[in-house]
Amino acid sequence: MIMDSERPSQITDNRLRFDSFQGSDKPLFPSKKQRLPAMGWNSWNAFGSGNTEELTKAMIAKIKELGLDDYGYKYIVLDDGCYRPERVNDHLESDPVKFPSGFKAMADTVHAAGLKFGMYNDIGTKLCSGAKVGIYKHEKIDCEDYINWDIDFIKVDNCYYMWDNATFADPENAIYSYAPNIRSITIAGSTYSAVKDADITGTRASVKDDYVTFIGTFDGTAPDHSPVGNRSSELVFEVETDEPGIYELVVSYATGKEEGVGRWLQIAVNSDVVFDDMMPETESPESFTDSAPIKLKLVSGFNKIRIMNHRRQENTLNSYTEIRKELENFGKDRDIVFSICEWGKTQPQNWGHLVGDSWRILNDITFQVGADGNNGTAAWEGDYTTSITSQYNKAVIMDEFAGLDKGWNDPDMLVIGMDGITETMCKSHMAMWCMMNSPLMLGMDLRRVNKGDWMYNLITNEDLIALDQDMLGVQAKRIFTTINCDDPSTEYIRDNNRVDVLAKPLINGDVALAIFNLKSEEHSARISVSVDQIISAIGNKMNKSASDRFKNASTYQMKDLFSKECTDTSEKNFSIDSISACDCVVYRISPVA
Amino acid sequence: MTREKFIKRLLEVFGEDTGDVFSNGLENGWLEFEDKLYHEDEINRKNIARIIHMYLLKVKGISDLQDISKAGELRDLYDCRVCANHIAQVYLRGIMSAKELSVNGGFLWFDLNGEDDTSAIEDYLIRAYEITKNV
Repeated sequence: MIMDSERPSQITDNRLRFDSFQGSDKPLFPSKKQRLPAMGWNSWNAFGSGNTEELTKAMIAKIKELGLDDYGYKYIVLDDGCYRPERVNDHLESDPVKFPSGFKAMADTVHAAGLKFGMYNDIGTKLCSGAKVGIYKHEKIDCEDYINWDIDFIKVDNCYYMWDNATFADPENAIYSYAPNIRSITIAGSTYSAVKDADITGTRASVKDDYVTFIGTFDGTAPDHSPVGNRSSELVFEVETDEPGIYELVVSYATGKEEGVGRWLQIAVNSDVVFDDMMPETESPESFTDSAPIKLKLVSGFNKIRIMNHRRQENTLNSYTEIRKELENFGKDRDIVFSICEWGKTQPQNWGHLVGDSWRILNDITFQVGADGNNGTAAWEGDYTTSITSQYNKAVIMDEFAGLDKGWNDPDMLVIGMDGITETMCKSHMAMWCMMNSPLMLGMDLRRVNKGDWMYNLITNEDLIALDQDMLGVQAKRIFTTINCDDPSTEYIRDNNRVDVLAKPLINGDVALAIFNLKSEEHSARISVSVDQIISAIGNKMNKSASDRFKNASTYQMKDLFSKECTDTSEKNFSIDSISACDCVVYRISPVA
Repeated sequence: MTREKFIKRLLEVFGEDTGDVFSNGLENGWLEFEDKLYHEDEINRKNIARIIHMYLLKVKGISDLQDISKAGELRDLYDCRVCANHIAQVYLRGIMSAKELSVNGGFLWFDLNGEDDTSAIEDYLIRAYEITKNV
């Protein structure tokens, strides 16, 4: 018997339902602002759990010394590892060794420097570090504390989450995120086979023997699945009835507790959810039994009966919504950036815009974070999420999910300055993140950065930052790739043996054009894109006059955003003859006449 | 073995003063406050890995191995973003070993939350000490 305390909340607000995600550009909170990607410094990549008050103050001093805030780097975010590992009188407290002066004092120090203060928590019961201070069931008390500490930013992670098999959570929590295996349904004496008589929507579910399994949502934490398209599967029966009325539905099902088969079942007739609950457990995922009768109201003619479980997305959205609601409750007049960090697990590109300002798209970009005296290590490429290109490969096809009216895809914090990657790779990394309107959170020990050195020059490249912070707020679109594919803007490509071309419209009618060589060797063949190709791909993101002006210009000025060299051209094709390994070229192209 | 006993044994093996078990580690950033708070709890494998790794890094100046890709053979490595590097470093240096499971065709895993007996823990500490002697 599952107790009420062991099950996710009922969903009473239909705006939190899967059916409301699509086409809903309205946030749940009217106060949610249109804002550009956040910029700042986050402690995680630099110091991991080892960040301290002393180190944070050193970072603040260095930001001021380097003038990084003048370039937009305003947020100082304390990531995991800063809390006392258990609550005191139910309240959060700072780690007494690392932050002896407390969080309010830290916030005051940050604010006194003209910067903004950010903190971290998890929607689960504990933080990823294991500290027993997760925000679950403490939304009110924690958010009141956060408001009293004057936070300007909060990153909310996903460890130890109760309603999904998230990191450190019980793997058997999959009972909540997948429907049982389904063999058939019976209505008014007629039995309909799941395999023969139903349609499977999306590509997550599949047929096994005489039943359908994996009815739920793809787990997007690892880089295995595309973020584009329908990421959830339902089983849909079309049932014809002669008379309108109340009918009894019996479902033949078998439960499990692993990724792909669970116990939570949702049933909808068209868009009305009529059942949303845990099913009694069966002996095994292949021991089918009949459900108790479930009453349905059907109309005469065809009825679409949907067997589904969208709770993976709905529960997570619900948990983030609770936090946002309490932040608004205690800080009505406050301006707080809400950074969703559930690692792409529940396809937040579908729902993140309802509540957050950005959403992480994958697990971390590196697990080899630094410590005081240790730079940490990052990678250009790798099989899992822990590389620059792993993050880029997914984010680059997610442009349609982002925007000023929605929020931003977050391919994780910058790894510039870590060991394991070259200056050239860092250059491309920065350019990728700026083209893709990603949050720009520095992750190095800033004491290693000095005015005029390569790291300083890269992170203060005003022309690149201007792309990220452009007020039009349109993420670049991949308009060409050297790998053969049907549609470069949506195809998920993980083979890095290629060169990509991205185009991004800007508020003043210019277009940013970036060419990235993802290969570890030089690409020596010509790469060329035409004005027509650019306008065809992104013209609909520009206003008509800007689009026409760009298309019909007879001369263009091309500014190389690294060398700062400007050249005029009357060519209608923009091209390069070669590009070095892991390198990039980024132009800002202005129609002149 | 409790966390406190483990830390004390580590200090003994490395010939350090064991008078105040926690002050050295907290001041030098190789222990977490939770180690003091939960000093009576049995120490699990992920915390053994963390403490040994951070001690080697912070006190003994043993730099991290940069390429940890081989540790990707541990099925549960990426389950733990905060301890993945600690585990990879002690695993790849041969200080702590993986466990082998035979289900699903067989795989290696670290068993993050598992506990080891005293003899195994002593072996880890000796191996860690040997590494510092060889640097």
